[in-house]
Amino acid sequence: MRFSFRALPAASGGELTPRPVVGIAVEGLLAAPMECLLDTGALRTRMSAELAPLAGIELDGAATEEFFVAGLKTAGALARVNLTVTDGTEEFSWDAPVWFCDPWPHPFGLAGLEGFLHHFIVTIRAYDGYLDIEPQP
Amino acid sequence: MTVSGHRYELDSRSVQTALEGVLPEPIHEHFVVINGRRWPPKQVLALVTGLDRADFTTHQARRALTRLGFPAARALRSREHYMRAVQATGPSGPAAGGTGGTPRTLVEALRPFIGLWVAVRGDEVLVAASSPKEVVAWLAQHGQRAQSMFRVPDSDQAIAGAAPQ
Repeated sequence: MRFSFRALPAASGGELTPRPVVGIAVEGLLAAPMECLLDTGALRTRMSAELAPLAGIELDGAATEEFFVAGLKTAGALARVNLTVTDGTEEFSWDAPVWFCDPWPHPFGLAGLEGFLHHFIVTIRAYDGYLDIEPQP
Repeated sequence: MTVSGHRYELDSRSVQTALEGVLPEPIHEHFVVINGRRWPPKQVLALVTGLDRADFTTHQARRALTRLGFPAARALRSREHYMRAVQATGPSGPAAGGTGGTPRTLVEALRPFIGLWVAVRGDEVLVAASSPKEVVAWLAQHGQRAQSMFRVPDSDQAIAGAAPQ
């Protein structure tokens, strides 16, 4: 499956440098995959806690951890959920741990080792502005 | 202006004001651009006149709104948009600066929505709202499926400083 880097407008005018992203749908939110920044340096896969109730994911009693993201202290609650990626023609689903974080200042989710990278062979072609992912056999 | 036998005093300002706080419905083919967003002409004209949508055609609505100075156009089919975005990955040079595979038009389509949550499909912004809850509700209400959802960053820092510290 191939995903183009995400180009974005800069608030100050012009464009931000396109970033490697993948749309990952949380169970219950297949119509609205959350765009996640590919983060090869991150252990966790993290998303905004706002998504959990929309997907019907219960976080009461979940394991939590505090950490800093973009200089902001935040708390993540762990849920094991079913995730799906699709490029419009192929689709792949897997179960993975996701940390739902509040507050979450980031415009995207973060796709890290646990939850995403461990499940795929990922080829990043930054020069051409896209990445390919192939589910691990 | 006269619509379906009724006389209305409309100007561009009153139309823009009437649309504040309203989310555009899905674009099937024709659209007009108002307040930096794409709107189905029939949704707009029904909203500002109170008429039932069955009382006028898309072309009548489009003509009425272009007379008020709003640009109108015809959208490509959604499927074409989607496939174009997915397949636009040729060896076109470095991605930095937006010259890579992503269609430049999406960047411009996203510009009015800096700071908002959006759902996109191909190079089309399906909906923009202030929370993911509103975006998800809109997709469900209109039976739409997005390629992805995210918040358009309002600063370079918002994505530059992502790594946990």
